[in-house]
Amino acid sequence: MSLKLTRRNALTGAAALGAASLLPNGFSRPAAAEDTTLGVFGPLPPDPAPPGAAKFAGAEFDAWKAANGADVTYDLVAWPQLHDRMATAFASGSAPWDVMYNCGWVPEFESFLLPFVDDLPKELVDDMPGSSFSTVTWNGKSYGAIFTLSLLTLFYNKEHLDEAGLGAPPKDWDEFLRYTKELTRDGRYGFVSNYGEPAGIGGTASYWMAFLQQAGGTMYAEDGSPAFNTEAGVAALQMMIDLQEAGTDPGSISYVGINDATNVLLSGRASMMMNWPFMWKPAQDPKGSQIVGKLAASVLPAGPAGTASIDGTDAWTIGKSTKDAEKARKLIEFYLDPVIQKKQALDTGWLPIRLSVLNDPDVQAAMPLAKVVLDQAQHPYDSFVTPDYNEISQAVGTEVQKALQGQKTAAEAIAEAESLASAIIARRG
Amino acid sequence: MPSTSFERRRRRAGLLFVAPAAIVLLAILAYPIVESFILSTQSVRLVAGGVTKEWNSFGNYIRLAGDETFRRAVVNTVFFSFGEVALVVSISLAVALLLNHPLGRWGFFRIMLVIPWAIAPVANAVLWKWILNSNYGILNGLLKSLGLIEYYQVWLARPWSAFGFLLFIDVWKSVPFIALLLLAGLQRVPSSLYKAAYMDGAGRWQAFRHVTLPTMRGALAIAVVLQTIWSLRVFEIIFVLTRGGPADATVLMNFLAYRVTFNFLDIGYGAAIANIIFALTFLLAITYVWLMQPRKRRVSS
Repeated sequence: MSLKLTRRNALTGAAALGAASLLPNGFSRPAAAEDTTLGVFGPLPPDPAPPGAAKFAGAEFDAWKAANGADVTYDLVAWPQLHDRMATAFASGSAPWDVMYNCGWVPEFESFLLPFVDDLPKELVDDMPGSSFSTVTWNGKSYGAIFTLSLLTLFYNKEHLDEAGLGAPPKDWDEFLRYTKELTRDGRYGFVSNYGEPAGIGGTASYWMAFLQQAGGTMYAEDGSPAFNTEAGVAALQMMIDLQEAGTDPGSISYVGINDATNVLLSGRASMMMNWPFMWKPAQDPKGSQIVGKLAASVLPAGPAGTASIDGTDAWTIGKSTKDAEKARKLIEFYLDPVIQKKQALDTGWLPIRLSVLNDPDVQAAMPLAKVVLDQAQHPYDSFVTPDYNEISQAVGTEVQKALQGQKTAAEAIAEAESLASAIIARRG
Repeated sequence: MPSTSFERRRRRAGLLFVAPAAIVLLAILAYPIVESFILSTQSVRLVAGGVTKEWNSFGNYIRLAGDETFRRAVVNTVFFSFGEVALVVSISLAVALLLNHPLGRWGFFRIMLVIPWAIAPVANAVLWKWILNSNYGILNGLLKSLGLIEYYQVWLARPWSAFGFLLFIDVWKSVPFIALLLLAGLQRVPSSLYKAAYMDGAGRWQAFRHVTLPTMRGALAIAVVLQTIWSLRVFEIIFVLTRGGPADATVLMNFLAYRVTFNFLDIGYGAAIANIIFALTFLLAITYVWLMQPRKRRVSS
């Protein structure tokens, strides 16, 4: 049969193509009966994005989709928009996702999530730190699986410490203050932080919560009422004030994001900061870092009660409205597969949550801080998430900012923070 | 009152023609306003996989009265709006006068003027975030190289400094539009009035005071009202630069409404704050419409 390029043939062909494209699934392959499309809502890289979104484990991801008869579509937004986008979707009753990234918001969105942790394979659960389920558990049910061990640890510039004759990182609060003072020289600061954003995990309140636990305090009593207006609470804030005076970059109060403060350390203008493991990889990239090979990490300096931290609570959760809860859970299991977890660490810099992968020699060789974070995980790291976490951390963080600016004493700020937190909890009912 | 059947039919036809537009307006304007007001009188919570609403007897408005953060946001907003309007209108008038001068009529100046206004709001905020950075900011570098400061300053660290810079940035962005608006007003002043004034011996200041200003009263009033409305809507620069900090020093009502609604999910309370802003804006809009109405000339008997 010969095909001539005529107007009639062209029109007939175009009509046939148009008709075919109107058929269900258009030109795609015929769908198998068991095919499912899972919608995943999460953060854009370089935040902890999953395979297929971030550039790692692409082949394995394709293989998983084929083996499970599932397609996966990603709806990814910049990290600061995640909470508000999810809140809006839930409020409007149109959250179209099966799997959702959550970060400290599990108690807040509890009624929209499906508890699935009990159905995870035992060998997977046993391979994760026991405490990794604490921030995704509320009212006795576990709604999420943490997929990266993200704890605040101390990052420092080895070269600066060596120049100052300080061989090892600071081990306790006294050393922390002394180091900060001694490292504040030659136009740079001993310590830098991002105190510009009061609320949320990684905001000013979070840093104070880490110091609070180091001082032996806690946020809430057994009955859920605020319990931080104590000697430990005041001591934690006083430590932050003292650190400020010892040589914290004054710009810290204006840095509203972790990246603002990270850039200061990467440019060599500060010597120490409390940061998340993600920092390791960019610090080794000469395109954006002036401290390549000079960065080291250690557990956070100990307060009167020892070292303690907070965690990033990066978790995958399943929406209640999912059409296929089992496949959604299987997708999360895939994200937590040892092979994927290893690639996640090596290619993106986000540490694995699985203990076996954290102890993997390749991971430890590529990311020496894996061992540090594991050590830090041996100590308390409660992020104190509750349904009104954002509001409470906003109130606490704002009071901490006032104290850091000298508007209030540590005791006054903590007393006011407790009063505000009590009012917020009372409104929760 | 329609007196003939033709008038009645004409009126009915008119209503039919207007109806689609009226329905669309009701759907996209009136419904959200009414819904927002209803929300502001309720306790709205996200529970049990949905939104529960419970009438709370205007409790959200009562709560506003005792909310220290809201009071602070109101004071900040009032200061911000007054400062912004005064600065924007006076600077814009000066710019308009310069552009109206024969030397300033070169198109290049107008293009340059429009640039701050043309930059996308978030891009503008990010641009200033870098300019003001306490470690790498060009402002610090410039002032230090000129010997005006000894050490790099943290411009956004102190409440008044942060507030002042937010005001400056918004003024920088707002001046172009208002300047062009006033320039259009200036160009409508008949040159014969100036000639008459000069023939009567008026100097430049007297001509400005007795000819320019009275003739531009309408344009100036519109500029003031529009700028006040816009100053109530400021959001991006606060979100990108300070998040309302340090210590809530730069929280304006609009940002607070966002924070309460979306960060805290206190939807009813957030709606109450948003409605206060709406009421203020609505009053200003009425003023604007009133100013825009053509004036009837007084006829002396």
